[in-house]
Amino acid sequence: MTGGARKKAAKPAFPGTTKTAVRLAIDRLALLAVVLVLWEAAAVWLIDPLWIGQPSLVAARLWQLAISGELWRHAWTTLLEAGLGLLLAFAVGVPIGILMARSKYGAAVAEPYVMALYSMPRVALAPLFIIWFGIDLFSKVMMAFSIVVFIFILNIHEGLKTVDKDIVDLFRTMRAPTPYLIRKVLVPWIEPWIIASMRLAIGSALIGAIVGELIGSSRGLGWYIENSAGRLDTIGVFAGLVVLVAIAALANAGVGWLERRRLGWRNA
Amino acid sequence: MTAAATAPTSGHIAFKGIRVRFPSSAGHDVLVMDDFNLEIPAGQFVAIVGPSGCGKSTLLRVLSGLVDADAGTALIDGLTAEETAERIGFMFQRDTLLPWASVQDNIAIGLELAHAPAATAKERIRELIDFLKLTGFERNMPHQLSGGMRQRVSLGRLLAYDPDIFLMDEPFGALDSQTKAVMGRELLRIWERHQRTVLFVTHDIEEAVTLSDRVIVLSPRPGTIRLDLSIDLPRPRDPRLLRKEPAYIDYVDRIWREIDAGAPVQD
Repeated sequence: MTGGARKKAAKPAFPGTTKTAVRLAIDRLALLAVVLVLWEAAAVWLIDPLWIGQPSLVAARLWQLAISGELWRHAWTTLLEAGLGLLLAFAVGVPIGILMARSKYGAAVAEPYVMALYSMPRVALAPLFIIWFGIDLFSKVMMAFSIVVFIFILNIHEGLKTVDKDIVDLFRTMRAPTPYLIRKVLVPWIEPWIIASMRLAIGSALIGAIVGELIGSSRGLGWYIENSAGRLDTIGVFAGLVVLVAIAALANAGVGWLERRRLGWRNA
Repeated sequence: MTAAATAPTSGHIAFKGIRVRFPSSAGHDVLVMDDFNLEIPAGQFVAIVGPSGCGKSTLLRVLSGLVDADAGTALIDGLTAEETAERIGFMFQRDTLLPWASVQDNIAIGLELAHAPAATAKERIRELIDFLKLTGFERNMPHQLSGGMRQRVSLGRLLAYDPDIFLMDEPFGALDSQTKAVMGRELLRIWERHQRTVLFVTHDIEEAVTLSDRVIVLSPRPGTIRLDLSIDLPRPRDPRLLRKEPAYIDYVDRIWREIDAGAPVQD
């Protein structure tokens, strides 16, 4: 019943008609085209493509990589590393966040350490993780995990701290069983926090995976970029970057879609 | 909305020697209630008035089991909140609707928690929405409603839950005076039909006299009863006509004087 009502209340990201939405899409594509044309022109007439690449050559390379299957192999590797790291971070971070919210004292004890680890630039862990976990998949998963887990811990903790106590009290006076309270109040309450965490986590998980690959690996987009740069193959570097941007943008759009679908009730 | 006005048999409330202390930020505890005693027969509408911080809300919280008393017992028909199977319906000043659920889904919560049979739930929600004049807003979200309408939905959820006792903590305190008057009339309509025990905390003395059978005036902390006044005004009451009754004016005046006499100079 709740789901149906929510769907109805969900609003498009931008108020207005489909016409303005189409217009927006066209203008966005136009902006992209202008930038690409300027870039192409600069590479042809102004600066050696060795430095700045060249859109047409990058496109040709991407086509080549797609046909040979190399593109999918590298992209899949990076996606798998980031994705597994993200899942692991969710599975570990959410329970820790809940525990910290449940035990105020425990949270007070743990907080300085959590914050210290959170503030540490975790990319510095990469060399250690390579030693511990090898140069295969697992070290990258752990890199992504080490960056993302704090996002979930801190957001879940914070989100649960802000739960409306009057609502909880009210449900208690109505003798709501705890599972009912969790299902009807707490989970929906932290849903926006989880979705916001996801938005941050996707970018961070990709950072973790790529950093791991840059330091030591034998495949993945980070490896492809690193390897291309080593051979002064700027076009290859840009091709790798384009795929990364595309992955990040798609993932972000996915979260945006989820947000509009699930959190429509928040927008008036 | 089924029961006709029959003599209430359950909903007797007793506070016996209630003592409540709250830890304060300064380190020493604040004594909110000390040896507080009050008995309320089943079906009575009782208003509690008194200065801020005198423990009015604390009484409701102790009775409903949200706050543990340091001493004494609060009983509903001889049982504590944990022991009794009777339903306690709490209403806060702030609407405590689920912001992500529509009007009908919020009201449905009350039915679910009352274990109402699913077969009749839809019909019952429709009845309540009709009764509370929320027709046409079934699918609206709380943030799309005015403050008064949100409290109507809160009331709907409460009625769906069908409590034996209504504990109302300044339920209309955040509303403008006009909406407040309308909601008061609505509550009277409900009470006159169901005759449940009501404990109604308010700052508004006129509201207290208009609605209740009995007004309890509390002293500043620790809260004790300064005045226990029966309001013998005929029912059903019309709040608008009531305002001109000499007896009504007299009650309001007596309560005001009692509060003024009891309050130390503040602010």
